[in-house]
Amino acid sequence: MMFIELGHGSGGRPTQQLIKEILNIYGNQSNKDMEDCALIENGIGVTIDGFTVSPRFFPGGDIGKLAICGSTNDLAVRGVKPLYLAMGILIEEGLLKEELLKVIESAYRVSRDLDVKLVAGDTKVLPRGQADGMYITCCALGEVLTDNHWGIKNLYPGDYLIVTGPIGQHGALISALHYGLEVDELISDCKPLWPLMEPLTSIPGVKCARDCTRGGLGTVLCEWAEGSNIGIEIEEELIPVNSEVVSVADVLGFDVLHLACEGTAVLAVDPDYLREVLSSLKKVAPHCSVIGKVTEDHVGIVGLKTKIGGMRVIDMLVGEMVPRIC
Amino acid sequence: MQEKGNLRDKAELLQRALGFFAKEPMTFMEVCGTHTVAIYRSGLRSLLPKNISLVSGPGCPVCVTDQGEVDAAIKLAEKKGLIFATYGDMMRVPGTKGSLRNLRTQGADVRVVRSCDEALDLALKNPTKEVVFLGVGFETTAPSTAAIILEAEEKKVRNFSVLCFHKLVPPALRLLAESRELKVDGFLLPGHVTVVIGVKPYEFLPRDFNISCTIAGFEPLDIMEGLVELARQVHDKDPKVSLLYARAVRPEGNTRAKKFIRRVFDEADARWRGLGKIKNSGLRLKPEFACFDAITRFDLDIKEVPLPSGCKCGEVLMGKLRPEECPLFSIRCTPDDPVGPCMVSSEGNCAACYKYSYKVMR
Repeated sequence: MMFIELGHGSGGRPTQQLIKEILNIYGNQSNKDMEDCALIENGIGVTIDGFTVSPRFFPGGDIGKLAICGSTNDLAVRGVKPLYLAMGILIEEGLLKEELLKVIESAYRVSRDLDVKLVAGDTKVLPRGQADGMYITCCALGEVLTDNHWGIKNLYPGDYLIVTGPIGQHGALISALHYGLEVDELISDCKPLWPLMEPLTSIPGVKCARDCTRGGLGTVLCEWAEGSNIGIEIEEELIPVNSEVVSVADVLGFDVLHLACEGTAVLAVDPDYLREVLSSLKKVAPHCSVIGKVTEDHVGIVGLKTKIGGMRVIDMLVGEMVPRIC
Repeated sequence: MQEKGNLRDKAELLQRALGFFAKEPMTFMEVCGTHTVAIYRSGLRSLLPKNISLVSGPGCPVCVTDQGEVDAAIKLAEKKGLIFATYGDMMRVPGTKGSLRNLRTQGADVRVVRSCDEALDLALKNPTKEVVFLGVGFETTAPSTAAIILEAEEKKVRNFSVLCFHKLVPPALRLLAESRELKVDGFLLPGHVTVVIGVKPYEFLPRDFNISCTIAGFEPLDIMEGLVELARQVHDKDPKVSLLYARAVRPEGNTRAKKFIRRVFDEADARWRGLGKIKNSGLRLKPEFACFDAITRFDLDIKEVPLPSGCKCGEVLMGKLRPEECPLFSIRCTPDDPVGPCMVSSEGNCAACYKYSYKVMR
């Protein structure tokens, strides 16, 4: 007998395997690209994402903001301008109505700023104890603005890799709250990526982008290396990360490369367009940084040059992240 | 950003010092799991001169938990109406039948806690339920388990107990030192454990066994510095216990923490996974605290259970085999589907090897 475990939801290898099994049932009736959003007919991009977070309100955001950012970010990183939203909310009996409306107001503010319209929705209420407060599912739809359809298939040796800001902030914050660590300076990076991505859609040298959510930057890069015929090499000292995030990761025994981001993306860029991309990004993401390159060598493997000059491999997250003993 | 080149420059300097002292082949063992992970994570091995080999020791608390102990924990956690609180690392450790994580998936009330205080809180908040805390770890975690038992006694908490599998590091080092098959020139000693026990418990190693010892911190450069000192001791034929982690360790250790341990526990023989029974290497609750001892309270029988066939955890934990030399490594034993705890724990030797270097070997 096999059971679904929390590890199946961690974003790492077990998640990938589960998704593959689901897609296998659909066979040719499904899209097996394994990208963040699907590009369908008539230049339309579509994605869907479910949201559960504890606590529902956290420094830097809440589940409502997270839902709009998370779903539209999946479009943004494929060069798709978010236009429409459909939202489903599962609510536990006994939730304060005030709280529900506060979450929706927060979702509305992000939607308004992005100029996306809520065009369909659904609410269901579950008996007390059958859900944890509330869950949101968001489907986002938009217009493809790029000619080269950003995606893994475009990756090529020599491409530069850029992250748009410090990594692991959301994951570190939620872990700290979950395990009762007091780190006042921590704040989630939860934000929409479209303002960063939109100016890049007109630069032909952008190859591929991904928001580093569950499983973090490390898992995204592993997916890239394993999903195409390339290797990846990055340098630890070039990766922007705040010291509070490092502290949380150290205390709990996590790898910062596996901590989730909710408003930070990684991009692959043709060397000829690097300068143009950086100067565009710097205006909106001052902490963006080139962290490494796509390589011809060690296909399928992500290598990390460490701060002391050693080399090691980065692997995907396996199972659920749990804190260590000492 | 200024630190950037600096770290590399320092690493290079230490690399040259290592080369200077390591004129002949030397083998060092990092005893502690946190060191093992730091070594893999920093890619430190790729910077070592050819003459220096590093092997990992039995210093990961999850890894040395015996199969019989894991089975007993799982059996207890199955009990209805009981909350079983554990450090996260123990969740995926496979017993003979499944793991605590499997149990939780099937509905058992298993909670991950980050400290034993949280377990006592659970007991206070759930007065109608029995709450059992799985006490594992070395001298680092034993003082807080002791403190929580004293607190539970003071608050007269009647529904709280500890399944105590705490272990002590120096007796295991003695076993390693006495082993004839293992040829180790020096131990990189565990920093965190030493914070508690101090320097003295290691002094028999250079004195009786001619083994060099260094207590080092956990940053990659601390570890390199520790290795340089070990190589120097071997080169100069000057075995002793050097303390290079004085920013955290007092030579006498933490007397308060030691007092807590002595107040609550007695030393007792303990079974270590793959290493067998080691004399006086474990901690049992003193008879006066029997009501907090889950073993007595639930009349548990800790059986001697054989390791799964082919499992070489013992050899790996004693540094006799490298993880990749175990016949199960990456074939039957992977982080997704582990056979032994060394492949599960974030500090486990096999897990670190798999995670940070396996793909290259493949």
